[in-house]
Amino acid sequence: MTVTASRAPADVPETLLDVRDLLVRFRTHDGVIYAVNGISFELGRGERLGLVGESGCGKSVTNLAIIRLLPKPAGRIEGGQVLFDGEDLATLPENEVRHVRGRDIAMIFQDPMTSLNPVITIEEQMVETIVAHRKVSKRDARARAIELLGMVGIPRPETRLKSFPHQFSGGMRQRVMIAMALALEPKLMIADEPTTALDVTIQAQVLELISRLTTETGTSLILITHDLGVVAGMTDRINVMYAGFIVETATTQALFERPSHPYTVGLLHSMPRVDAHEGEPLIPIEGRPPDMRNAPRGCPFAPRCAWRLDRCWEDNPPLEPVERGVALVTTGPGATHRIACHNPPLPDEAELGRPTRPGHRPAPAPEGQLDELATLAAVVDGVTAELPR
Amino acid sequence: MTGTTSPASAAGTAGSAPHDGTDREPLLEVRDLRMYFPIYEGLIRQRHIGDVRAVDGISFTIHRGETLGLVGESGCGKSTTGRTVVRLYKPTDGQILFDGEDISGVEGKPLRQLRRRFQMIFQDPYASLDPRMTAGQTVAEPLDVHGVGSKAERGERVRELLATVGLNPDYGVRYPHEFSGGQRQRIGVARALALDPDLIVADEPISALDVSIQAQVINLLERLQGRLGLTYLFIAHDLSVVRHISDRIAVMYLGRIVELAASRELNMRPLHPYSVALLSAVPIPDPKVERRRRRIILRGDVPSPISPPSGCHFHTRCWLRERLGNPERCSAEVPLLRALSTGHEVACHFAEEVDGSREQLQSTGRGDAPTGPAPVPETADPSLLVRSPYVATPAADKDPGMGELVAGTEPGLGVPPSKPESP
Repeated sequence: MTVTASRAPADVPETLLDVRDLLVRFRTHDGVIYAVNGISFELGRGERLGLVGESGCGKSVTNLAIIRLLPKPAGRIEGGQVLFDGEDLATLPENEVRHVRGRDIAMIFQDPMTSLNPVITIEEQMVETIVAHRKVSKRDARARAIELLGMVGIPRPETRLKSFPHQFSGGMRQRVMIAMALALEPKLMIADEPTTALDVTIQAQVLELISRLTTETGTSLILITHDLGVVAGMTDRINVMYAGFIVETATTQALFERPSHPYTVGLLHSMPRVDAHEGEPLIPIEGRPPDMRNAPRGCPFAPRCAWRLDRCWEDNPPLEPVERGVALVTTGPGATHRIACHNPPLPDEAELGRPTRPGHRPAPAPEGQLDELATLAAVVDGVTAELPR
Repeated sequence: MTGTTSPASAAGTAGSAPHDGTDREPLLEVRDLRMYFPIYEGLIRQRHIGDVRAVDGISFTIHRGETLGLVGESGCGKSTTGRTVVRLYKPTDGQILFDGEDISGVEGKPLRQLRRRFQMIFQDPYASLDPRMTAGQTVAEPLDVHGVGSKAERGERVRELLATVGLNPDYGVRYPHEFSGGQRQRIGVARALALDPDLIVADEPISALDVSIQAQVINLLERLQGRLGLTYLFIAHDLSVVRHISDRIAVMYLGRIVELAASRELNMRPLHPYSVALLSAVPIPDPKVERRRRRIILRGDVPSPISPPSGCHFHTRCWLRERLGNPERCSAEVPLLRALSTGHEVACHFAEEVDGSREQLQSTGRGDAPTGPAPVPETADPSLLVRSPYVATPAADKDPGMGELVAGTEPGLGVPPSKPESP
């Protein structure tokens, strides 16, 4: 799957991160959790990539696998490679991974309160980070910390350095996290739902800050979020994930212009838009996400998919270009639009959010497979009667 | 908006406003409602040292069959408003007229009787269900408490309610942990419907749910409203969701309503600087729109409701005040909610300045309207207004009075992104 374009167009950036067939499983008392099921993607230098999906789709686990922070001993990389700057992080010894983390790859998590140590001042935490990775004196590290806090817009950084995390508001804490992430001038920043816990006006502040600082420093960005609105404004390219698979990948522009996987189409139709026309109905994705304890079989989205065919139940489609016969480009603004789907929605179906071709019926589930569309229809059919008042 | 507002004048401002769906009778009228939470100091002899002014004098009306959206950021008092209205709290001051009857002081048994008529749906479908009660028991509890029907009738009613919210009636014997988040929220909705209420206060009912599930619950609430003639007070922080479901929207900031208008009107023509900023901060899932937009990014955080800023609570973060040269009036005088057009009320001394401003046009996606070159000089403190999409564009830096940016909002002329478009 990883046919890198033979350095053809000039706008293909140099590859920084190359994830190949990444397989992550959790072995728990409840059985195996099939968290990430062999995904491949690349990230160019200076590129901003969005990983989009709902909870449990494997987007955060992908992130944790890249930086080797999977919860032990349950979570393990069971296959594939994570080539960062040519080095395979998946097999690197722990003490060497520690150097990459922080120095080359920085992380921002959803809840800044749990990622900062509550009993140590910001100063100690920042100085500790800098001194651990750089040969500098504490005094220089402190000066750098002040400079960074100023850069992320913390007023009076000298005094605020003495504060504890709880003395900051949520937005300010996330700014501190960004300052710490940037302290070592990383090549890659991974932001996992960085603004989900924040109010919308504060979210705008923090996103603007991340965008500005990564652009200025040329840092690559992986932005993990469930919010298609956030990635629309923040990224160059997007991977849509479902049930541990990448189901659609394209440049941000192409993805929104021509969403081609039924799941992406469903996501776009199930969220109200503030600029939508009056009375535009929402079309929810029926049913619920799959139980990740079941080994993948067939297309993971088939139980909820209105476009499914018989083969979707048995045969999981590979990620292939929407338009056949084009050279595969995996990064940059000319990246090939690819989907994993046997029966993709036509453009006008994508626009409407449901299949319109005559005679199409979602293929019924084979014995023993859960059909979310059918269970729902059965329940709703049973309740057409009015509730007595 | 003082404590002495007479009922007549309050009704005059809140009730007279016609809007979509207008001639319906008011079901809930809130007049000058205040909810303060006292702060005490000292262990043995407690001294009252101040109040958290969660709700600080608000008035609004909800008509029968209508949905009023209450939107604002955390700490603005929207949840407290919802909880006070259904009398989970006893208000510090003000009136809550439910179907014409003042319920603000009712206690004990009469209050319990009243509660049949207004119910609540909570945000967290994990915390709001008792893990030791089955779905059926949870839905039946209100019926048991109010002694509705015989045991058999109640059982039948529970099955009916579960089916109404799209759950298999046979699942009534299952416990909450056996359901997904969306299904739990459906149980919460079924419980709220059990007593056939008139008013449902939904406090962030979809915030804890996955995107694909949110639409299911929104559609369910809308369908139920159509079928059962319910009235909703819909509380949320997400303006796009509130806009979708509401007939009218009240925007709250630090305990006060700053703007109240029909949903469409508020989105097309926000008149309070805070509403404009809120609207401009909502991400839109369309990269073309995102690239074209110029966000107003407010500086700083929401101040503490213990000691809110004087005058207009928003004046410390207001972009309009900054542009007008910090007029004294904003910090000195509390702006009253006044009607600028029919049914559109706003609490800002200078709301007329907002109308037609570039910020208003761009935040509502009408940025392509001919606004002329550089109508307004750059503000004194540029950090207050970062007019940029998240994607930093080189064009935004050299700044001949923003003229280029305005030009860039012409349709099809989007400001070039930091990278060329793919061929």
